[in-house]
Amino acid sequence: MYLALKEIRHEKLRYGLIVSMIVLIAYLIFILTGLAFGLAGENTQAIDSWDAKSIVLNKDSNVSLTQSVITTDQAKDAKLSAQEAVIGSTPVVAKHKGKEKISASFIGAKKSQFIINDLKISSGRKARGNHEVVVDQKFKDDGYKLGDKVTLNSFNDQYQIVGFTKNAKLNVAPVIYGTIPSWKHLRAMEGVPVVGSAIVSKNAKYNAKDDHLKTYSISYFISKLPGYSAENTTFGFMIGFLMIISLIIIAVFLYILTMQALPIYAVLRAQGIPARTLVSTITSQSLILMVTGLVIGAALTAATDSVIPIGVPMAFNLPVLTWISIGLLIMGFIGSAIPAQKIATVDPVKVIGG
Amino acid sequence: MSVIELNNINKCFGSGVSKVHVLHDINFSADRGELILVVGPSGSGKSTFLTIAGGLQTPTSGEVSVEGKSMAKLSTAQRDKLRLNQIGFVLQSYSLVPYLKVKEQFDFVNKVKRQGNLNQAELKELLAQLGIENLTNKFPGELSGGQTQRVAIARALFANPDIVLADEPTAALDSARVAEVGKLFKELAETRDKAVVVVTHDVRLMEFADKTYQIMDGKMTQATNKQPAE
Repeated sequence: MYLALKEIRHEKLRYGLIVSMIVLIAYLIFILTGLAFGLAGENTQAIDSWDAKSIVLNKDSNVSLTQSVITTDQAKDAKLSAQEAVIGSTPVVAKHKGKEKISASFIGAKKSQFIINDLKISSGRKARGNHEVVVDQKFKDDGYKLGDKVTLNSFNDQYQIVGFTKNAKLNVAPVIYGTIPSWKHLRAMEGVPVVGSAIVSKNAKYNAKDDHLKTYSISYFISKLPGYSAENTTFGFMIGFLMIISLIIIAVFLYILTMQALPIYAVLRAQGIPARTLVSTITSQSLILMVTGLVIGAALTAATDSVIPIGVPMAFNLPVLTWISIGLLIMGFIGSAIPAQKIATVDPVKVIGG
Repeated sequence: MSVIELNNINKCFGSGVSKVHVLHDINFSADRGELILVVGPSGSGKSTFLTIAGGLQTPTSGEVSVEGKSMAKLSTAQRDKLRLNQIGFVLQSYSLVPYLKVKEQFDFVNKVKRQGNLNQAELKELLAQLGIENLTNKFPGELSGGQTQRVAIARALFANPDIVLADEPTAALDSARVAEVGKLFKELAETRDKAVVVVTHDVRLMEFADKTYQIMDGKMTQATNKQPAE
């Protein structure tokens, strides 16, 4: 550690450049992770808030909530306890005179069931009638206020915003919570014997007891949300590649520095300095560089987070970022392995001659 | 008893038709308080001799012993320890860590070898003896060739070794500087009771040596003792 710190202090520019590379990589990884989590969150916020374990859909819907319809006949044997809730889902475009149109997901649910019961209202109140809705905070951010009346799709009916709720997005679209009759109206299925799009349950093994219906775990259902898996896999690959790039950068820089300093290490070995001491120097240097880079990268990320516009979906998950940081430290440690091996096996005789 | 002895040392490199016999039946000994020269031209086997004496290479045959203990059975770690505790190297170049100030070169030794080094008062005295007491806050890059050589000698002596092995310490020095280094080694050997072995092609050092070995084509001649002054 002594030599490691002394060399870094003496060669400020050289090591500053390496740290700056690590800072940029760490910053990029943190931001990408934030975006990945932010986007993933916007896909699943509403589902996460339900705290459900399973979902029953029409088995011909291809695990798509908006394509699924459960008829009264199919649901006749389904026992609904306090653990279950029926929802009806449809995409809508909300409009209000003078305000920007918003593409949203309309979720119709019964106010006696847990989805509406457990809904956390950030301002206003829960809907009481078919022409009242609770909407995601996104509406508020876009200038909508309590009491505003919106129309949905091409229908003339007006729905009054009576409450706002936070973290209610489904497939990146803000959610409008309304009633099942409103959902049926929006799907033009008034008078049709349907109960909803899905039955959501807090019981992982819930069975609706009908051959036309199938129960899926929430995690599987989420993985089948349009674009969700592809998006996460893409981010995963980008983060993985950046981790590997960080390993290569630290390995290349330390290798070059080590090769330049090899005669010094050889002389120190000749003077009886144990290989262990010299190897610990290079691994310490690697860890110091990585920790410094990570700390500065994290500070830059925090600064970015504080100034980033509200519309950019970015969410930071501390345990995940901690694991990524540990991963980067391990990469740095592995990156120092090749130069460390060079030092451990340096032959002083080659420097002295003979 | 000699502090270091080499008995019937042979060193060969390669095998078969490419086999090169670098050292032939070398016999050598050094006592405390002596300055001993091993003189020979380039390619004579001087450096091989030095690396074998310092435990950096093992001989093909023969035995090296320090304070009567054979090096043959020592592990790599034990050889490291022997060099750290009992042998001080002064090399032509790279002897000093470039990013450590002069005083930090000694701090580093203290961190690796925690016992048996010179204390602060002894170090101060050594630096004064070498005339480098004002250079402690300088980096090696800020020193002249002669100053670097003196700091390297101080660094080697700081660990308080029994033997100092120096490789061409007067390379690139003018005659005045050569005489200075010769006197210094002689003085250090006597006042500090060390066996100082200098491997060199510089015959100008011979007047300061207690014993001089000639090495030529890997063969070492008998030592010639210094003639007492008339």
